[in-house]
Amino acid sequence: MDPYFIVFFIMALGAAIFMITAKDALPSALGLLTVFIALSALYLHLSAPLVAIFQVSIYAGAILVLIVFVIMLLTVPSERFQLFQRNMSYRIMGAVLGALMTALLAIGLKGVKDIIYKREIPEGFGHPHLFGDFLFRDYLLHFEVASVLLLVALIGAIYLSKKKA
Amino acid sequence: MEAWGVALIKVVFIWAWTLIIATLMTWVERRGSAMIQDRLGPNVCGPFGILQPLADGIKLFTKEDIVPEKAKKILFALGPIMFALPAFSAYAVIPFGDKIVIGGKEIILQVADVNIGFLYIMAIGAMSVYGIVVGGWGSNNKFSILGGLRSTAQLISYEVPFGLALLSVVIIYGTFSLREIVLHQQGTFLGFLPNWGIFKQPLGFILFIVTAYCEANRVPFDLPEAESEIVAGYHTEYGSMRLGLYLFGEYVNMYTLSALMVTLYFGGWHIPYIDMSKFLGPVAYGIASFLVFFLKTCFFLWLFVWVRWTVPRFRYDQVMSLGWKSLIPLALLNLFITAFLVQLTI
Repeated sequence: MDPYFIVFFIMALGAAIFMITAKDALPSALGLLTVFIALSALYLHLSAPLVAIFQVSIYAGAILVLIVFVIMLLTVPSERFQLFQRNMSYRIMGAVLGALMTALLAIGLKGVKDIIYKREIPEGFGHPHLFGDFLFRDYLLHFEVASVLLLVALIGAIYLSKKKA
Repeated sequence: MEAWGVALIKVVFIWAWTLIIATLMTWVERRGSAMIQDRLGPNVCGPFGILQPLADGIKLFTKEDIVPEKAKKILFALGPIMFALPAFSAYAVIPFGDKIVIGGKEIILQVADVNIGFLYIMAIGAMSVYGIVVGGWGSNNKFSILGGLRSTAQLISYEVPFGLALLSVVIIYGTFSLREIVLHQQGTFLGFLPNWGIFKQPLGFILFIVTAYCEANRVPFDLPEAESEIVAGYHTEYGSMRLGLYLFGEYVNMYTLSALMVTLYFGGWHIPYIDMSKFLGPVAYGIASFLVFFLKTCFFLWLFVWVRWTVPRFRYDQVMSLGWKSLIPLALLNLFITAFLVQLTI
């Protein structure tokens, strides 16, 4: 296997494990940040610089900042979180959802033999122009459906916050 | 191998240059504030006190490195590094001159001309907030946490108009490469106006400069370290060179943002109406383009200082309402008008 790949995949996995086991809230968020950065490095390695930069600027630059904001608003540095969930129903629910997620990932393994062989990269692969062409010509419908979905979430969030006030 | 050598030289040069500029900026800031407030400022070390940054540096290095007892040691050490590192990496994609020919080889005056340079700057710019947050949290101090909290809230609010203002520029020039954007700004349009971003995006530039001051945590947006409210914000507990890294990172950020303003809105290394490459030799042209770019950047660096000592700090709710109620709608309007006009002219 590729040493570059191994370094970043170990980094991503290690940071992910640290993230769910950390007792302090902010180091846990920093673990998630490391996961995002490692994933972005893997995308770079797969000749997809645009996706890599989106990974950093959207996930690490916007979503995680929001999470960190909530952490800083609601907790203090001395506050510690218990490692194991005591509530039995939560544990069962987590196990079922985790199993489902693993099953979904296992289905994804079907395509693994396409990945492990080196393939010719088409000319201009990963260039913003090509990316835009794909997004707004070939996959326009998917793009619009995703944006409608986000709009629904946005309206829902506004409705919920209005109701409380 | 040779390409690697050239790249290494460029990286080292830009690294050293940024360090020198950031160091000199601390002196410019103190002398500038003195000038505006009708004082003398540091004038003892060397002519006009120009060696003052050196004295400050020696002072910071030789001070005792104090770590508060209740601080989280690892986070406390990590904070300044996480703040300074993105600041230094952001400059990699900014073209600091056109090109220079040495020994028959054409060398582009830019560390990396990547076709996503523009997005890289945005991604790296957002990273610097983690240094503030980690430092504030690691200090385990009320004021530090408040500073970190303000910093995240500010970033979330101002990253949106920042990005939208930049996107309008991309719509006009049709590329993410900063070098290509500068190359597009040569010559004139409508017969007499220089082909600069400022004339095509006047509203976009105003939005950009306001949000850039917020990204750099400078007055009037320096709420994360507001001295009159929360002592010194996120770096209350820091001393010695750790504090030095925070202060230094701020000046490096200022330099990058000034260079970005010149690149996007003020024609990069171009002088209006004059094409330098026509009558200067290849080496002289390279140096001239670098100097022109640097002089323009200097003006915006001075503007940062000028604004800091002229404008009072916003109140916190004013910052938020300005961001959400004025800047974001204006940025959306600007984006819409730009897209509409570009669509008409195609």
